[in-house]
Amino acid sequence: MGARFDVYVRRHTWLYALDPRVKLALVAEAILFTFLWPTLWAAGAVSLACLGLLWLAQMPWGRIARFLRGIAALLIMVLVLTALFADGPGVVWLQLGFLRVTAAALMQGALLAARLLALGLIFFFWLSTTDQASMVRGFVALKMPYTWGLTLALALRYLPILAGLFEQVSEAQQARGLDLSQRRFGERLAAYRPVLIAMVISALRNGEWLGWALEARALGAMGARRSVFRPLRLRGTDLLALAALGSALLVGLALRML
Amino acid sequence: MTSPIPPAIQINDLHYAYPPRIQGEAPVEILRGVNLQVDRGEFVALLGRVGAGKTTLCMTLNGLVPHATGGIFRGDVTVLGRNTKRHAIADLAQAAGLVFQDPETQLTQMRVEDEVAFGLENLGVPSEEIEERVMWALDAVGLAAYRDRSPLLLSGGEKQRVAIAAMLAMRPQVLVLDEPTANLDPAGKGSVFNLLARLAHERQITILLATQEIERVARYAGRVLILHDGRIGMDGAPAEIFSQAPRLREWGVGVPQLAELSDDLSRQTGRSYHFIRLGQAFAQLRAERSAGFANSRQVAPDELPTSNLQPPTSNLQRPTSNLQLDNVSFTYPDGTPALRDVSLTIGAGEFVALLGPNGSGKTTLAKHLNGLLKPARGRVLVAGRDTRPLRVAELARLVGYVFQNPDHQIFAATVEDEVAFGLRLRELPPAEVRQRVEAALAPFELAPWRDLPPALLGWGQRRQVALAAVLATQPQVLILDEPTGGLDSRSREDLMAVVAAYNRTGRTVLLITHDMRLAAEHAGRAVVMLDGRIAFDGRPAALFERRDVLAQAKLAVPPVVRLSQRLAPYGLTPGMLTCADFVTAWQALLRRTGATTPGTESRQAEDADGR
Repeated sequence: MGARFDVYVRRHTWLYALDPRVKLALVAEAILFTFLWPTLWAAGAVSLACLGLLWLAQMPWGRIARFLRGIAALLIMVLVLTALFADGPGVVWLQLGFLRVTAAALMQGALLAARLLALGLIFFFWLSTTDQASMVRGFVALKMPYTWGLTLALALRYLPILAGLFEQVSEAQQARGLDLSQRRFGERLAAYRPVLIAMVISALRNGEWLGWALEARALGAMGARRSVFRPLRLRGTDLLALAALGSALLVGLALRML
Repeated sequence: MTSPIPPAIQINDLHYAYPPRIQGEAPVEILRGVNLQVDRGEFVALLGRVGAGKTTLCMTLNGLVPHATGGIFRGDVTVLGRNTKRHAIADLAQAAGLVFQDPETQLTQMRVEDEVAFGLENLGVPSEEIEERVMWALDAVGLAAYRDRSPLLLSGGEKQRVAIAAMLAMRPQVLVLDEPTANLDPAGKGSVFNLLARLAHERQITILLATQEIERVARYAGRVLILHDGRIGMDGAPAEIFSQAPRLREWGVGVPQLAELSDDLSRQTGRSYHFIRLGQAFAQLRAERSAGFANSRQVAPDELPTSNLQPPTSNLQRPTSNLQLDNVSFTYPDGTPALRDVSLTIGAGEFVALLGPNGSGKTTLAKHLNGLLKPARGRVLVAGRDTRPLRVAELARLVGYVFQNPDHQIFAATVEDEVAFGLRLRELPPAEVRQRVEAALAPFELAPWRDLPPALLGWGQRRQVALAAVLATQPQVLILDEPTGGLDSRSREDLMAVVAAYNRTGRTVLLITHDMRLAAEHAGRAVVMLDGRIAFDGRPAALFERRDVLAQAKLAVPPVVRLSQRLAPYGLTPGMLTCADFVTAWQALLRRTGATTPGTESRQAEDADGR
C-alpha cells in the first residue's frame, strides 16, 4: 500500500483533453485574477469558477469534498491567526488580553483564506485533470530543456516509490526492535538513522540501475535527434479555449484599469 | 559445425574484473575466459551460482560492462557484428535489449505507452513509426489493452512485460534478460517465460536469459549454459545438462526436481533412470513397474497403501499455541480489505508455510503477528499477549521478521554491527552480544566478511546477513517472507538448513512463499490464503490433493508430488513430497512386489556396515 502523490483522476471529457499548455495558461490567468482585485469577491469568483470547471470535468464530488476537508483546517488557521495578530484600524470586535480582533484584521484574514482557497482549487483542478506525463510534455513544449523535463518526470515517477521504500525500510527496522515512537524529537531523529541510511543505500543502488536502464534505452544516443511520440498540437477546442481565456484576460484587465 | 549466417552473439576469451570494492584492494575478477557463440532465434538459459558473473556477462552484451562500470576488460564481445568495445551503450541498444531484475528501476514514465515509446524517441524514430512500434511491442507482450495505464498500478509480471516491450520496440535482434522473474509470483513468472518462448519461436529473436528458475528452464529453453568459475562450464540441451546432476550439485547449481529424482533413483536402486520431464518420468517408471512386476495388476484405489512417512516436523497436534488470530479483519486506509474474519492458531515449534497468490493477505497476516499492523476487528495473541497495546519494538523480542528484500534492513558499517544491532537495542551485555553474533555468523560462514560493509556483499550474502541479524535476537517466532527468491540451489539449501535447525530447537517458523517445493520439503503445515480468507489449513500432502484450492490460489504442485500422484494407481505409496520420500517409496514398492534391483543387496549390506 504505497503512498500516492498524484491526485489525477482519469476521465474522458473535453476539459481533460485540453492541451496541457492551454491548462497552464488557464492556471496562470486564474492566479492573476485572484490577485488582481484585493477583494473577497474576486477570490470567491475564482473559487466558484474552479468548482464549475471541476463539475464540467466530471470530477467526483467526493474527491472535491475530500480536498476541501483537507484544506479547511489550514484556511481556519490562517483566518484565526491573521484576525488575532494582524491588528489594524477600525472597530475592535473582540479583546482577549493583549490580543484584539479588529474589523480590518478579520477582513485581511478572510481575504487571505479566500485567496488560499482559490489557489488550492486552481491547482487541484490542474493536478486532477492533467496527468504527470502531459504536464511534463507541456513544459517541454514550452521550451523547457528535455533533460529538465525528464528529471521532473523521474522525480514525479519515483516519489511514490521512494515513499513506499521509506515505509518498507521503517517496517523492517522496527521489526528488528527499533522503536520509532514515544521519544522526544531529538531521540526520534536519532532513531531514524538506520531507516535513513538503509533507504539511502537502497535509493543509490536503485539510482545506479536506473541510470543503466536509461542508457540501455538509448538515452543520449550519438547522432540521433530526439523525436516525440505525441507531439502537442493545438486543436479546435484548444484554440477556442485560448480565445476565451484571452478575451477574459482583456475584459479583466480593462475592468481593473477602469 | 558452421552457421550459414553470422551468429547473434560471439564472445571470444572474455576476461573481466570489476574495480576494487574498497580502495587499495585488488580488482574483483569475475569472468576468466568466456567463449560463446549463440545463433539467431536461440532461447538460451544462463545458469550459475549467485555471484558467478551472470549479470556481468549479460551487461557485456550491451556494453554496460565495461563502458558504465569501468574495470579491466579483455577479449571480444560481438553482437550482430558490432564489437561492444567500439560502440557506445546507447548505440548498441538497437542490437541488444537488456532487461533487468527489478522492473521498478527500469520503468521511468507514467503511462505504459510512453514507457514503450521512450527508447524510440531517444533514437529519433518518427512519431508515426513510434505509434506503430508501440502497438506492435505491446501486442507482442500481450498488453495492448494496457497502453493508457500507469505502470505503477500494474502487477510485477505486467511491469516486467512492459520493460520487455520497451526493449522490443527498439527492434533488437537479441534480448538479454537478467533474472527478470526473481521477484515475481508464479503467474508472473509463467507469463514472462511463455512470452520469451514465443518471441524466440515466432519472431526469431535471440533470447539469453540469466535465471535460477530451473524447472521452467527445463521446459522452455532450447540450450543451457552453466557459468562456473568465470567460464562456461557446461553448454548443451537441457536434457543433456541436467543429466549431469552430481556435477551440477557439486557446483552448487540446481537441477529440476525430476532430474534430481532420476539421479537419486539411479544411485539408490542401481538401475538407470533418465528423465527431466513428468511425461518421461511417468512413462519410464510405469514401464519398469509393468515389466518388472508382470504379474501385478493395477491397484484399486481402496487397496492403495497408506503413507507411513512422517511429514517433516509435524506439529498438527497443535502444541502450546503461541500465535493466535481470533476473527481478525483488516482493511487498508484506501479501503482495500486485506483480511476477512481470519482465525488461526499456530503452536510452538510448528513450521508453517503461508501460501497464496499476490494480494491474498499473506503479508498482511504476517504483519499482524509482529504488531506492524493492528486488527480492525478481532484480536491477535502472541505468546498469550494481545498485540494491540504492544509496540512493534516490544513484539520484536518475540517475533523476528526477515523481509523479502535484505536491502530494506541493511544499514550498518560492518557485517558484525549489522548482526549486533538488534542485540544492542536490547542493551544486552557486550559479552553476550559478541557471543550471539559469533553464533549467528557461524552457520553462514560469514566471519571472514565481518568487517566489511554488508551493502558491498553479494545478494546471497546480504540475505544471509539479514537472516543472521534476526536469528541473533533468538525470537520465539521466525517469519520469513520469500527468503529464497533469486538464490541458487546451494544458497537456498544452506539458508533453509539454518532455518530448519532453528525450528528444531522448538521455535515456530512461518514461511511466506510461492515456492511449493520449499513448502513441501520443509513445512509440516500449509495455510493457503485467498481474498483475505483462509482457504486451506492442513498438511502439505493434503493440500496437494485439493485441486480446487490449488487452482484458485494458482499454486503449482511440485513435480515429484505430481509424479507420485500419477503412479499411485500403480502401487506407489501416495503423499510423497520430496525426492527422498519418493526414492524410499519406490524401493518399498520394489521390495513389496518381490523385485530385486541390481546392487540393492550390496548397498543394503554397505548401509548395515556403515551403521
